[in-house]
Amino acid sequence: MTKIFTIAWREFLATVATKGFIIALFLPPMLMAIALIALPLLLNKKPPSVAGHIALIDQSGVVASRLEEAFTAEKLRQRREAKVQAAVDQGTQAMGMDPKIAEEAKKAAGSVTGPFPPGMPAMPELPSLRMQVLAADANVETEKQPILRATGREQASDESDARLALLVLAKETVTGIGAPTGSAEVTYPKYELFVAPRLDPEVQGDIREQVAKAIVDARLDGAGLDVDKVRGLFSRPESSTMAVTKEGERKTNQVAALLIPGGFMILLWISIFTAGQYLLAGTIEEKGSRVMEVLLSAASPMELMIGKILGKGAVGAVILLLYGGVGMGTLVVFAMTHLIAWQTLLFTLVYFVIAYATIACIMAAIGAAVTEVTEAQSLLGPVMMILVIPMMLWMPIMRNPNSGFAQVCSFVPLINPFIMVLRISGSEPIPIWQIPASMIVGILTVVVLAWMSAKVFRIGVLMYGKPPNFRTLIKWVRMA
Amino acid sequence: MNNAISLNKINKSFGSKRAVIDLDLAIPEGSMIGLIGPNGAGKTTSIRMIMSIIFADSGSIQVLGKDSAIESKDRIGYLPEERGLYKKMKVGDFLKYIGRLKGIDGAGLEKTVRDWLERVGLPDCYRKKCEELSKGMQQKVQFIASVIHEPDLLILDEPFSGLDPVNSRLLRGLVDEQHQRGCTLIFSTHQMSQAEALCDRVVMIHQGQKVLDNTLDEISARYTPREVRFEPVGDFVESNVSNLAGIDRVERHNGTVWAHLSKGVQCEHVLRQIAATTPVRKIEVVRPTLEDVFIGIVAGSAKTEEERAELLALMRSTGVKTSSDVSGD
Repeated sequence: MTKIFTIAWREFLATVATKGFIIALFLPPMLMAIALIALPLLLNKKPPSVAGHIALIDQSGVVASRLEEAFTAEKLRQRREAKVQAAVDQGTQAMGMDPKIAEEAKKAAGSVTGPFPPGMPAMPELPSLRMQVLAADANVETEKQPILRATGREQASDESDARLALLVLAKETVTGIGAPTGSAEVTYPKYELFVAPRLDPEVQGDIREQVAKAIVDARLDGAGLDVDKVRGLFSRPESSTMAVTKEGERKTNQVAALLIPGGFMILLWISIFTAGQYLLAGTIEEKGSRVMEVLLSAASPMELMIGKILGKGAVGAVILLLYGGVGMGTLVVFAMTHLIAWQTLLFTLVYFVIAYATIACIMAAIGAAVTEVTEAQSLLGPVMMILVIPMMLWMPIMRNPNSGFAQVCSFVPLINPFIMVLRISGSEPIPIWQIPASMIVGILTVVVLAWMSAKVFRIGVLMYGKPPNFRTLIKWVRMA
Repeated sequence: MNNAISLNKINKSFGSKRAVIDLDLAIPEGSMIGLIGPNGAGKTTSIRMIMSIIFADSGSIQVLGKDSAIESKDRIGYLPEERGLYKKMKVGDFLKYIGRLKGIDGAGLEKTVRDWLERVGLPDCYRKKCEELSKGMQQKVQFIASVIHEPDLLILDEPFSGLDPVNSRLLRGLVDEQHQRGCTLIFSTHQMSQAEALCDRVVMIHQGQKVLDNTLDEISARYTPREVRFEPVGDFVESNVSNLAGIDRVERHNGTVWAHLSKGVQCEHVLRQIAATTPVRKIEVVRPTLEDVFIGIVAGSAKTEEERAELLALMRSTGVKTSSDVSGD
């Protein structure tokens, strides 16, 4: 036994205590941290504020006053507050943010300039805008000229009162063509909007939105309808979506429901695949450098194989715990830890062990059978196909975690640990019995694979020369 | 005297190929035997069975007093033919690892390793990576790995290959030391001359079977000299010699004449006769070398001259050095 641990310890250190591993381990999370935290901080320099006026040529005569009012300071502030509130609501609804954090966000949203809830793009200072109504018969070309002098980046303090945009509304835009004659089809020509090239897109969007609203309101008014009443009828119905579960009703978190299981599975995949690769490469290197003969004079092939599998398994566990820890830490920061039960974490660990053992047996056998990494490629093909299947099934399974298909896949040897991890980390509960049952399937798979791999390992480890193909490997399994 | 190794009717086949056939071998404790034979003869397979890396199909093996070779694993040292080191591992760490696997306690291990490195002339290599060492240095490290646990049985596979004369001599000294310690040594090689120089006994394996198992003295005694070589002075008339009774044929090699004796002829008698008929500068009776014995045995199985030539060519190609290679003819 001690030999196995001696071997396992060396295998672990040989991989982990190298510069290459440490860099590969810490670099991705660090890069991600930089991307998620530092970059937004850098880029979050608020876009410069906007100050100036929008010129309006209203040939219909009924829209000007509405637009003037829409662009008062008060209205601008109101619209900004509503936007921030919507973002906060979306955060709580879709992402399942903790209500406490949502409260914090709401308070922060009270200040329309920030700080903003995480994930929201920074907004510039409130624009200092007003609508300047020109004569209905003003010359469009003349009135366009001042725009040329505007940069779109003027500040309020400049007091330059730049002309940032020119709106031209034709009469027909409001009244429509074909209406008086009562023909079925009424067309409304477009209105024209001339803007300074670098005008903030948000402001442009706001202008278009307000113009549209003003025109429609004018049409309603012109048709003799009560504008406010009609607007009220059109308010967008919202749903309060609750999932009915045995534990009681709770809000659904659509985004989280998809991302978290995906995250779990990718975590599993990365840690297992990386460790498996180290196992394969290490075994091949030992064969190639002939150190295998020396090792075999000191330990039995089985002690070697088990030691290597354990040692590289520890490497996989390090990766899993580190990245998993980072993931959990992120959830803590966003106060979304309630999305994952501690049982899920425990079961994931168990499935990790099962899945790793499965892959490790295969990798050890392939590594022992060949002498060079290139020779391993052809034997690796089927293994890679196995590892890829769970990835391909991610979406279908997550959309319907308890479908017949998902349940069957949970018992297919080799892939079932990945499928189960997908299902248990989702928001939909699954039948409890399936967890121990699938674990048993997984363990039996490992036992069978270990037996076969042991035979291949024992024979292959001393074989040099032409790399074996699958048929030869099967022969070895029957031989030893 | 106990036997360090006892092999009784060992058989091993790989598929349809019979690698080792009915091998009997008894090696007394403390002896140093040479295991010779061409590649593919079954040497490595036999060695692996002694080390319990693979197992025989039939027959029994006792190693160091134990019925199962596995139990003796930690008392056997093995120096493989090719350098077997972890390239990226530090020398000290590697030796400690092997030591630990062989059952040495952690406590004094570091000191033992350092002492050994000093003994073989590599005092500064503890922290170096194995790949940084030259071939000779690696061989020495490999040697340490095979003896660090003070084995009772040491198996060396071509230990001198690739070593310069200085390192060769150093290694020989170390090997002798182990022998003095009472260790049983098996020395597997292609180079017959080395086996002759080092060992008291030789076992020859050919096509899976043991074809020779004698001490060097016994071999000398069995294979009586068949050649008289001399350097004639002045004009040499070949027919003077070739017509002598008891001489089979005469060959000229530069300035030396090789006279092959017929069967059953006493060499001293022929020696006197040659000396009587021809003035010579130098004359000697040539005992067959181990190579000659080996070739004789192996080629003896050849029926025709052609087969014999083929066999010789085959042996040369598998690394067996023949006497003509050595003398450069």
